[in-house]
Amino acid sequence: MKPFAAFSIKQIALAIVAVLMVMVSLVGGLAAWQTRSVSASLERNNRDAAQSEFTAAAERLYRRAATQGEQLARWDETRQQLVQPEYYSYWRDQRVYESGMLASRHARAGLYDMQGALLAPSPSRRSLPARLPASATPFQPVAWLASENGTLAYYQSFPVFSDEQHRALLGHALIRVDFMAELLERESFHFIDTQSLALPLKPGETLAPADLFTRIRLTARTDPNQVRFQSIMSRTMLALFVLLAVTAVLGFAVYNRLLVRPLKQLSHEINAMQQGNDAPGIGRAPAMHVVELETIRRSLHEYQAQLRELHGSLEHQNREFRSQARQDALTGCYNRRAYEEDWARFQEDIAHTPQGVAFLLFDCDRFKTINDTYGHAKGDRVLTIIADALVMALRANDRLYRLGGDEFATFLARTTPAQAKQIAQRCQSLIEAAAFGDVGIREPVGISIGIAFCGPGHIERIAELPKQADIAMYTAKQPGRNRIALYGEDTERAAQTLVASRETSALFQALATPGMIEMHYQPIHALPGRKVDYYEALARIRYHGELIMPGAFLPVIASRRLETEFDLAVLNQVDADLTSGRLPEGVGVSINLSAQTLSRAEVVSLLLELSRHIARHPLMLEITETSLITQIAEVSTYLDLLRTVHFRIAMDDFGTGYSPLRYLADLPVDVVKLDISLISKLGQDNRAAKVVADFARMMGDAGYSLVAEGVETEAVLARVEALGIEHVQGYLLGRPIPLDQLAGTATATPTGAACPV
Amino acid sequence: MRFILAFLLCCVIPVAHAAVVTQTVRPGIPASADYRVGDRDKPAVLLIHGFLQTREFHTVATLADGLHDAGYTVLSPTLSLNIPARAQSLPCEAIHRHSLDDDVDEISRWVQWLKAQGHRSVVLLGHSFGSLQLLAYLSRQPDPVVKGYLGASLVEAQIGEADRGALIAQLEDRVRRKQRDLVSQPLSFCRKYTSAPADLLSYLRWDQPRTLAALRQAPVETRLIMGDSDNLLGHDWMKALRHIRTKMVVVKGANHFMDGEHEFDLLARALELLGQFNNKVAR
Repeated sequence: MKPFAAFSIKQIALAIVAVLMVMVSLVGGLAAWQTRSVSASLERNNRDAAQSEFTAAAERLYRRAATQGEQLARWDETRQQLVQPEYYSYWRDQRVYESGMLASRHARAGLYDMQGALLAPSPSRRSLPARLPASATPFQPVAWLASENGTLAYYQSFPVFSDEQHRALLGHALIRVDFMAELLERESFHFIDTQSLALPLKPGETLAPADLFTRIRLTARTDPNQVRFQSIMSRTMLALFVLLAVTAVLGFAVYNRLLVRPLKQLSHEINAMQQGNDAPGIGRAPAMHVVELETIRRSLHEYQAQLRELHGSLEHQNREFRSQARQDALTGCYNRRAYEEDWARFQEDIAHTPQGVAFLLFDCDRFKTINDTYGHAKGDRVLTIIADALVMALRANDRLYRLGGDEFATFLARTTPAQAKQIAQRCQSLIEAAAFGDVGIREPVGISIGIAFCGPGHIERIAELPKQADIAMYTAKQPGRNRIALYGEDTERAAQTLVASRETSALFQALATPGMIEMHYQPIHALPGRKVDYYEALARIRYHGELIMPGAFLPVIASRRLETEFDLAVLNQVDADLTSGRLPEGVGVSINLSAQTLSRAEVVSLLLELSRHIARHPLMLEITETSLITQIAEVSTYLDLLRTVHFRIAMDDFGTGYSPLRYLADLPVDVVKLDISLISKLGQDNRAAKVVADFARMMGDAGYSLVAEGVETEAVLARVEALGIEHVQGYLLGRPIPLDQLAGTATATPTGAACPV
Repeated sequence: MRFILAFLLCCVIPVAHAAVVTQTVRPGIPASADYRVGDRDKPAVLLIHGFLQTREFHTVATLADGLHDAGYTVLSPTLSLNIPARAQSLPCEAIHRHSLDDDVDEISRWVQWLKAQGHRSVVLLGHSFGSLQLLAYLSRQPDPVVKGYLGASLVEAQIGEADRGALIAQLEDRVRRKQRDLVSQPLSFCRKYTSAPADLLSYLRWDQPRTLAALRQAPVETRLIMGDSDNLLGHDWMKALRHIRTKMVVVKGANHFMDGEHEFDLLARALELLGQFNNKVAR
């Protein structure tokens, strides 16, 4: 859905003003149209009134002429002239006027005999027809209009009788009226434009009086009231429009000042707030004149203040969180995240100001053992004491980072190798002086310190310092060392360190590359008969064509906490080997797993997938009891689950750990593999051999299936067999061999007879 | 025609006691009269109106009504003044185409008309200038049926301040030279009387002496009824009348028209005088 375009309040105001003006224009136009309509109606009325006025005036003139004619016809002196016309001209030109018979100077009278002949010709200026028209009936008045030299004449003839009974016709009287002159003189016209009066008649044409009204041409006089009305309306509309326009402009200005400007200001403030700009000038809008806006402004300012306060609080909390995020919760020193950030920034900074830099890596000696022995709480307390001692030993501006577990680090700026070693020695001294006994630790606790240094001239190699410090750390941890080693100075065993470095690289590459881990299988024989029941899958890393043995990479796994990743890689490889079908069917496979990884869901999940091979190859899991099983209940649950899918659980290297009996008690173990250090005792004829023998019998009595590891002599084998131990494993009967060789051997000796290595 | 008309009137009279009768007094000039038949034993009264008036003039009309009411046959014509069927009083300024001779002729015709109606005794009664016109009639061998003359407010033919003799001479000269242009001249009560010279001359010749002579020499019994407040009379006219010992009754306070309350005085005197005439005729 397309969003609506937003309009500013100013645009809306302008639109309202525009709409208002348009509406006013429409209303004005309508009013003008109505005015014109009224004017047209008035004009029509005027025309009608003019026509009516003319009709009334003309009829009055007709009536006057008729009255005068009748009077004239009845006048004694008229009859006198008809019988004694000697002084007719005097009568016509003077007498009729002075007597009042013809009251108008525009009227003339004439007398005609019975035959309609004029008694005497009239002067040319006042001529009358020499004869009455033929249409004039003898006994009836007759009237007509005629055009005479541009003058409209109205004639009215009357019969004149010599008796009252109107039987004896004497002659005719004729009145001629100058129609227009008489009309204009006698009548007052209010509606007619008298200049427009015209009757278009041809010369000699006559017209009946009644036809005058249809032939007359006239124009209505413009009604002054109408003109005034129109003028007033026009002026009023113009004034109204101007007033509205001015009002709209003023209103817009007021609107702009009272609403638009304050709203804009508020909008700017809100935008500034949104953009996080809370400069001091913001939020200081002056008081507004509109109550609602003022309320909004106050609310906004209050909200802004609250927001600023909240922002400050959040920043404070953020700093707290950030500090906490960079702080190790246990020891209070900086954590690994802080280390990574600070180290990256330090490298950037140091590039601009070259100086001597030392990287110190600390590792607590035998911390795992302490932890397993005294428990986590005390282990944590040991770490806290160590951290406190290290912080005290470092310089004021130096930072101590806990990289993980018991590993700490720091990097020292503006230093020399000697100063770095001096600081390292101070760290060791303070730790040795620390009161570990207060937390119940009676064994001495020490740390190994690996130091790497690069001078101002080799600052480009600063990124290698952690790795070098790690190598130095290995050097420091070598037996006989004073546990402080400076890379390059104290690493006499350069080759070894190089190897160590190569194995580390090989390990990481193997974890990332399937197939690099190669499984070698050592047979486990059943006694008596020495039939191969199982092969123990043993991991090797093939790196650049050479095999790296577990003794080289297992310490790296332990120190890097890579047990899970490594076990997953081993399981995947075993799965691939089992799937390949090159293992003899019916022969089981025993897989070494760290007890730590058994609490990982992904390991368990992969094991459950492996269970699909159990029908052809019984599977057994060997748990190395030397590792620390911290989540023993959870591990026990998973082992129970695995047993339900017919995994067998074996306790590996029994006899070398710290608390094997506890694990036997808490975990669902089916098989106990006695470590070579115990089995080798069986070849001796002493108390130790007796203890081991008794222990083996006791375990067998307890229901555990026993496997004797490290059987290398026939004497030991005989002893093991005599003790009733069910399975035996050792170089005597078979060394670990690659799968390819195993497949060949199995083909050759499918029963799994002992084969030399 | 006259006889037929008279016959018709006779037939009508017993039924209708008043009628307008018409006769052609001159060719093309019909004239009418109000004819009211009264007691045949009493003389018929020929009542003539004043100068340029008609029989409708109130003094004459009232008098006619009174006389008829008193049993007299009254014929009150409107002199035509040579106007066909004249019915209106003729203004002074009108073109006057009538002469005193015409008036006398018409009076004579009406006397004859009465005579034709069987009236054997006729008393002439005139008001104002009508009295003069009746005198003029009497001066010309009146019909024997005329038994008496009553003149009310008799006036002379006054001409204002002009010299009557010179004026008459002037007019006579015009007539001789056949100059027919209209002449305007004060006459009687008209300040401007427009007339043809010969016609005017006929009136002007009736000056005071001639009038007095006609009165004195009238062949019938003459009586005058005059008002002593008549301002239209000449200042010596009453004196002259008395001088010739005219038999007259003077109504005190009456003006020329004897209107108002004096109408009754005029009627009473007229009846009184008519009674005297009647008695004399009877004897």
